[in-house]
Amino acid sequence: MMLQKIIEALKARNELSGWSVRHNVTREAQVYLIGQKMEAQRLTGEENFRIEVFRQKTGPDGKVGMGAGEVTLLPDGNVAEAIDTASLVADLVSNPVYSLPAPAAIPDVPLLDEDVSRDPLGALDRVTRDMLAAASKLDGARLTSAEAFAEIGTVHHVNSRGVDAEQTSSSVSLEFVVQAKKGDQEVESFRELTRRRVSDLDIESEVTRYARFTRDLLEAGAPPAWQGPVVMRNNLLATFVAGDYLSPGVLQTLGSAGAKYAKASTWEVGQSVFRGEVTGDPFTFWANRAIPYGITSDRFDLEGLPAQRVEIVRDNKVTTFAASQRYADYLSLVPTGAFGGVELSAGKWETASLLEEPYVEIALFSWFNPDNITGDFSSEIRLGYLVENGVRKPFRGGQLVGNFLDALANVRLSKETGFLGHYLGPTTARFGNLKVAG
Amino acid sequence: MTNLILPSAMNSLRGSLADIISQGQKRAPYFSVLLSDRHSLEIVVNNREERVTERPPHAGTVLSAFDGETMRERAIAGFDRDKVNSAMQELVSGVSFAKYAPAVSAPRRGDFVTPMQTDPSTLSVQEKLDRVREMQHFAKGLDPRIVNCQMLYRESNEYSVFANPNTDVGQRVLRIVLYMFVFVAGEDGQVRYNWQSKGATGGWEQAQFSEEEMRKVIDGAVALLTAERIEPGEYQFISAPGVSGVIAHESFGHGVETDMFIKERAKAAHFIDKVVGSSLVNIYDDPSLPGAYGSFFFDDEGMESSSTQIVENGLFRRGITDFYSATALDIPRSSNGRRQDYSRKAYARMSNTFFGKGNSSLEDMIAQVDHGIYLDKWSSGMEDPKGWGIQVTCHYGHEIKGGKITDRVFAPIGISGYVPDVLGSVSAVSNQFKLDPGGCGKGHKELVSVSSGGPHLLMKARLG
Repeated sequence: MMLQKIIEALKARNELSGWSVRHNVTREAQVYLIGQKMEAQRLTGEENFRIEVFRQKTGPDGKVGMGAGEVTLLPDGNVAEAIDTASLVADLVSNPVYSLPAPAAIPDVPLLDEDVSRDPLGALDRVTRDMLAAASKLDGARLTSAEAFAEIGTVHHVNSRGVDAEQTSSSVSLEFVVQAKKGDQEVESFRELTRRRVSDLDIESEVTRYARFTRDLLEAGAPPAWQGPVVMRNNLLATFVAGDYLSPGVLQTLGSAGAKYAKASTWEVGQSVFRGEVTGDPFTFWANRAIPYGITSDRFDLEGLPAQRVEIVRDNKVTTFAASQRYADYLSLVPTGAFGGVELSAGKWETASLLEEPYVEIALFSWFNPDNITGDFSSEIRLGYLVENGVRKPFRGGQLVGNFLDALANVRLSKETGFLGHYLGPTTARFGNLKVAG
Repeated sequence: MTNLILPSAMNSLRGSLADIISQGQKRAPYFSVLLSDRHSLEIVVNNREERVTERPPHAGTVLSAFDGETMRERAIAGFDRDKVNSAMQELVSGVSFAKYAPAVSAPRRGDFVTPMQTDPSTLSVQEKLDRVREMQHFAKGLDPRIVNCQMLYRESNEYSVFANPNTDVGQRVLRIVLYMFVFVAGEDGQVRYNWQSKGATGGWEQAQFSEEEMRKVIDGAVALLTAERIEPGEYQFISAPGVSGVIAHESFGHGVETDMFIKERAKAAHFIDKVVGSSLVNIYDDPSLPGAYGSFFFDDEGMESSSTQIVENGLFRRGITDFYSATALDIPRSSNGRRQDYSRKAYARMSNTFFGKGNSSLEDMIAQVDHGIYLDKWSSGMEDPKGWGIQVTCHYGHEIKGGKITDRVFAPIGISGYVPDVLGSVSAVSNQFKLDPGGCGKGHKELVSVSSGGPHLLMKARLG
């Protein structure tokens, strides 16, 4: 067995102060639709061994330094040659010494949809059938294209301190486009979502919701010039607070020990994360890798640290940073591992009370991408609503302009919470004073 | 013929491809094989730590069979002949492919290698690390306000072989990219940052920042310490080449990928030979541009690279294609069928996308602006092929007042507007030309290496 062969070879290398190996195996099914027609169908797989080795040496100044070297080996690769390469690199690099994670109890975080694991292509067939069935009921909008992916990934992580852990996870991604037409005017909405279980995709309601957005785009007018309450809900709120799960947001950046060590984060333990007065709800959040079926959840992370729910900010003040073993050692913090999902404390407000008119509700951004260091943002609104005098008037265009942390310092959050893939928390937020530049 | 030295397992399988294709083609008249091996080395040095990482390679074989309606593929990790043979048998059995008869193309054979002065593979990791350390050490000492300075070097080797009954071509494309990030602290303790990237297809000789380039990055970061938010509204502005490039990329790059035409997602499909910009606007996608970061010799579907003029003097002429969309639309192919790696599907994707040069000098263009903005640097963009809305976010911009750039800085700045209106407002195009390297996704996935850029443009749009 290749993994065992690599482990034996690593154990035999006296020059190494430590090592880890990850055996990664993935298999994936992919389906692409144009209308109801299948454009492409693909089956793919990958297997590799990620080896990281560590060496310590004393520099000319008498200080002990440490270097790491990483290499990825394919199943037919040369083990000795790969370790030689990694060891050589580890000898070239010199950083402050840090430790490897020690063995610890690994929590049983649910990550796998058994149906997807048994038959990824079959699972996609059901996903696309459900999506097309939902689309067939649409009035005034049509689903024009879609892509669906189902992946099963198994990771076996072993290190020189005795960590030996394995996890299998699934993920199912669905993208679809809904279009609507009125005269010469054509509009569309695009939805991308990833979950670990097919049942969490909530396909029918997603298709229906995006069809409604698309029809509203046909009626949308010019953006209002607005400064005042702005409401965000559900997936859009999740993206605002936690980024899209592929690109982390402000909280993940400023709350990470890596950014603190690099002097990119100005957050300090015990200090408020806000630069001014807090006029909204107190802000508390956790970095949570243990959210059941969370798409950024795991049982253990890339270093082998067990999943945790870590309080990063309590009542506006920094409690700690999400820290890998390396940065925990550098900053004398408790290692917590990778960030995972964002969990926000529930608010105290009934949702209805957050919808007091007038307000602007943002439904779709082109892309919400704040500056993760400063928190400043200026993001184009693809669909929004001005709600006043009992009328919900759609608009498109314009930009939501502000600062992420200033916005959070003046927010009211709903009691009602929900799980949205990489976010767990209130499903409605009313920001007290944001600007829409029309 | 160029001396292309492929990774050994890939080279070994290449020798068997004629037999595999011959067997596959008996059941599927359109049958092709792509062998792809992409691996890279990354070196990062900053004030507090350094890393040398061999990034996880993606190496595998793609078998493609087309029945005229559906492209069926098997993507196999590695280059094992038995596994590829077995996948070929599985792929072509149980489905009738015979209804599609591909056009017979002229036989094509050839190997290609990125021209370079010094092949990085001839240098030791130590030599590369030393160069990066040296640049970082020099840069961090240029200003006392720097709290961290990071230098990143990445070399990416892309080996590929494409074969079908009439084609057997191989290439090695070497992409070099260098990033400098600088973080500075103000008197109030706030941190601001700036960066610069440069990239090319080429060798080790590309991996160098000049002192002038480094100082420009630092000056940009320092200027951000006193940056203001811009008052939203319509402005006359001049886009730096990188900003011009993102506008080209998001509007007539993504907006003219012809897989979007068959999905009815592209407004451009209704604008062929119609006016979409001022007569000064010319936009190209050119994977054959020597030395550019997004260049290659043939795409992942075997199409030899060549330039495509997308917009000619303000008229939209044609889109960029992959095999599937060109076949479905019955239009000529361009060399834009690209995959993130062997495990992903080919789509119509950009390579080097840019505005064509004009005749104006930058100084004359600035002098024409009484009150406006010089947009120095982009940070992100997002496409809207159906609505032709534009969203480009700029890291910062300088005020232009009375025909001169002032010290007043605004950050960040979003550009928004309707693409034909924005391009229709272009009133001057500079005679300078520069490309920025970058990564491009299709939506939020399918990353490929591209560049975008062009000259400075003088135009109008909403900034906020």
